[in-house]
Amino acid sequence: MSHRLFASTAAALTALIMGCAQTPASGQTTPTGAKKAWTPPHTPDGQPDLQGYWTNNTLTPLERPKELGAKEFYTEAELADLMKKDQTRVALNEEEGRPTEPGTNADVHYDYTQFALDRGQAKLSWNQRTSMIVGERGTLPPMLPEARKRNADIAAKNRGHELDGPENLSLSSRCIVVNQESVPMLSGGYNNNLQIVQAAGVVAIMNEMNHSVRIVPIDGGPHLSADVHQFRGDSIGHWEGNTLVVDSTNFTARNPFHGSGDKLHVVERFTRVDADTIVYRFTVEDPETWDQPWTAETAWSKVDGPIFEYACHEGNYSLRNTLHGARVADEEAAEKKAGK
Amino acid sequence: MRTRLLVVVSSIGMLLAAAPLWAHHAFSAEFDASRPVKLKGTVTQWELVNPHSWLHIDVKNEDGTVTNWMIEGGSPNALLRLGVTKGSLPPGTEIVVEGYQAKDRGAIAVGKNITFPDGKRMFLGSSAPPDADKK
Repeated sequence: MSHRLFASTAAALTALIMGCAQTPASGQTTPTGAKKAWTPPHTPDGQPDLQGYWTNNTLTPLERPKELGAKEFYTEAELADLMKKDQTRVALNEEEGRPTEPGTNADVHYDYTQFALDRGQAKLSWNQRTSMIVGERGTLPPMLPEARKRNADIAAKNRGHELDGPENLSLSSRCIVVNQESVPMLSGGYNNNLQIVQAAGVVAIMNEMNHSVRIVPIDGGPHLSADVHQFRGDSIGHWEGNTLVVDSTNFTARNPFHGSGDKLHVVERFTRVDADTIVYRFTVEDPETWDQPWTAETAWSKVDGPIFEYACHEGNYSLRNTLHGARVADEEAAEKKAGK
Repeated sequence: MRTRLLVVVSSIGMLLAAAPLWAHHAFSAEFDASRPVKLKGTVTQWELVNPHSWLHIDVKNEDGTVTNWMIEGGSPNALLRLGVTKGSLPPGTEIVVEGYQAKDRGAIAVGKNITFPDGKRMFLGSSAPPDADKK
């Protein structure tokens, strides 16, 4: 790809633009100014060492809010204010900081704060970016007309049949694959914990959400045959200096990323810029979906282990409840139609 | 034990934005926004399981019968990190649940807010910042 904007020698620049990792309870922050060049430790076989437990939990949106225009970074003072506001938000029974109106679908959920699911209750990886997507625009590029039509056709086909049977429900509802374990690796509502383990010729990334391991060969081998499509694609990696570069292809449109198709191509760059921070930058392209590639960046911060099991099928009564609720609604509609 | 079971039927009203991104499933497909419930009962079982925890409570109805309700809660991993365990909510504990009933009209609800009879919020204790802006 020609748009690799983040050279392996950019660790110092990255340290300049990335902010800090902060635990709300502690209020401790790391200066966001220039950092001294940091040399990562290496594994016994000579790889830069990314191993350990990390979180990619963040409040930074993928796309920049419109009101921020071309403002790509918050100032340190603005970031401090945001952090303070978020700590007070933790006690509120809200969704993403917005009050929810009783009796609305948005209000139908358990209390995130009560169950420690509010993002502000887990360790957050803060940085000064106003959006993960880099650059002046800070938003996804325009979707191609044929991609809009493709997605509209899929939506139209599904409309009215969403609850016909288990196969109609989302991949995440069925515990097959959830967004957090897909590629690129972005945080979700909870369990945003990751573990990296390295061995000769391979890097493995365990994602707590859905308890899946992403195995990235770094042995110089090729991608799978173009005939093979997988929910998380096929990833192969190599080192560029201290940066792990992972190239992923062989995706399937059945697990789209913001409307992508099976020509999705993702290049991720993992750079450990200090003992507690990995800068995670990725570039996405899909010539059948967007008119240009786009790049985003966020930070992963060190957390304490271990990773807990997320056995999604263990007590997944939701499928039964959802489908049974739909069948009850069907019966009621049929009775109403019959004039009972 | 005095039981309050309110099933209020009302118009759904204007839908707000998108469904929350928090859970691995859509709450609004499973539970009915037009059927808020308030249940006071005693814990019979606390399933600290993935992908969602489930609390089972006996609720005494006004006619004297007892219904065992099943209340959906959050994923256990975050609770475990806060020190909550299976033993944190033993059978016999009295609680009050405000939530929404399942669309299948059974004794199933999502526990939007779970408190003890004295009003103290379950699990959280005093961890909420005292100066929280209530807007």
